[in-house]
Amino acid sequence: MKILEVKNLVKNFGGLRAVDDLSLTIEEGQILGLIGPNGAGKSTAFNCIAGVYPPSDGEVYFFGEKINNHNPWDLCKKGLARTFQIVKPFASKTVLYNVTVGGYVHTEKRAKAEEKALEVLKYIDLYDKKDMKAGKLTIADRKRLEIARALATGPKLLLLDEVMAGLRPTEVDKMVEIIKDLRDNGITFFVIEHIMRAIMALSDRIVVIHYGQKISEGRPEEIASDERVIKAYLGEEYGVS
Amino acid sequence: MTRENFQKLSAALLLIVSFGLPLVLRSPTYLHILILLYLYAYLTTSWNLVGGFAGVLPLGHAAFFGIGAYTSTVLFLQYGISPWIGMVLGGIMASIVGVIIGLPTFKMRGAYFALATIAFGEGMRVMVENIDYLGPFNLNGPRGLQIPPLNVGLANLMFVNKEPYYYIILIMLIAVLMLTYTISCSKLGYYLNAGGEEPEAAKALGVNVARCKLIAMAMSSFLTALAGVFYAQLTLFIHPKSVISLDLSFEIAFIALIGGRGSIAGPVLGALLLRPVSDFSRIYFGHILPGLHLIIFGTVLILVMIFQPRGLQEPLTKAYHRLLDRLTEKPTEKE
Repeated sequence: MKILEVKNLVKNFGGLRAVDDLSLTIEEGQILGLIGPNGAGKSTAFNCIAGVYPPSDGEVYFFGEKINNHNPWDLCKKGLARTFQIVKPFASKTVLYNVTVGGYVHTEKRAKAEEKALEVLKYIDLYDKKDMKAGKLTIADRKRLEIARALATGPKLLLLDEVMAGLRPTEVDKMVEIIKDLRDNGITFFVIEHIMRAIMALSDRIVVIHYGQKISEGRPEEIASDERVIKAYLGEEYGVS
Repeated sequence: MTRENFQKLSAALLLIVSFGLPLVLRSPTYLHILILLYLYAYLTTSWNLVGGFAGVLPLGHAAFFGIGAYTSTVLFLQYGISPWIGMVLGGIMASIVGVIIGLPTFKMRGAYFALATIAFGEGMRVMVENIDYLGPFNLNGPRGLQIPPLNVGLANLMFVNKEPYYYIILIMLIAVLMLTYTISCSKLGYYLNAGGEEPEAAKALGVNVARCKLIAMAMSSFLTALAGVFYAQLTLFIHPKSVISLDLSFEIAFIALIGGRGSIAGPVLGALLLRPVSDFSRIYFGHILPGLHLIIFGTVLILVMIFQPRGLQEPLTKAYHRLLDRLTEKPTEKE
């Protein structure tokens, strides 16, 4: 079943067209990667899907329902969660507090929200640090906290915006394991990532965008040998001709 | 003695002292100073719902205080309606105004929000100063309204002695502290804190930030108006400069910032520290330097912001917990 369908999405900022006629679909249980050079419009596309920006044109469907003008908080309640490229922890609060905010989505009771939060923290291996202030965490832990908060909302589709940037290789491997394991537990992923090793290992399919347009789509090994992708990343003169 | 028991005991002790104080302290002047201290602690705690939890800096709360005071006084003078009912009606009025003000201003950030609320509070004062009759209601412009002290008694919230006022404001303070504590542990409290600190992240986690802030604003302005009614009944004379003054809005913010915004104890600690400074500087230096207390507040605020940006509650709570540790735990020997 199609969990997310984006049709001809366009986003203009004044005269700049950040996302240009982007179409893609994600099947339930899939991990779809979104890559592209800096400034290609990846995060803008995410923000349009997650309700932060209203799309200038085109349609976004979540479980068949059009969500073009939905608010981020309503989408979150429906099961569409996201993380931020620049992590935004509630820095003066504890790790547990941070995750509990997410846990409150489907309950009014603090006990239930905290129970959900603790469950997620145990799963993602942050339980030992639950009483630490979020502002004092290392960058790797902050990235994990971003995911933990999003997981506590009980998402069906999780948009991950560069959760591996700034991590050491061993930490990247750990994150890949976590995401794969979550997928096996029924969460669909849409992942923006710059670390090629990770995105290749992770994705079922990859969409490549450049200047807001989709230039390629396919399985990781197809993408790796696609000439247009290599040119977009390395410049015209590096084409494999 | 266990830690919990000790905390319960110290709370009980505090309650006994605060309830027993008027039996020992007979001087009406000191009682009045204490009444004002509790009043400011109450006001700052109400303010804290928006200014602390929701992470914005409202500087126009005197307007809600004034709405409460004027609503109940006008209703009492013109229609003989008991100030207790005036409290409820004034509170509802203030809530409505609070939400109307909040709708456009909560979109602003930082200093712009603060400036907008100052403008609103000052605008309200100037309006009341220039209006003698608002429809059928006599506001009496800059001359203010005087409540003749007839029919004293609990039904009219009017007393000859200070003691009843003392107990009423003490109970109001305890109630508002319990209320804010409950809110801080609830979904609304979590959502307000999250939205105040990182609105984008909070929205992505399912928080309707704007709606939470409006709910907090409605509650905060309602509670502030109740204090306005109490003040009107305490002084029996209100005029725009006394109940809708910028000084009042600022003093609430001073107390909150120095005591510690967003914490439960902060407003009370701030009031405990600053109110005596304000009162005694007015008693002893009022004829030489009438604004001395504001200069002292400013200096204290600068020092606190440099050395304890989270307010004085943080080091004090830490010290309290260390004291608890020392009193309740026997020093364990290192193995």
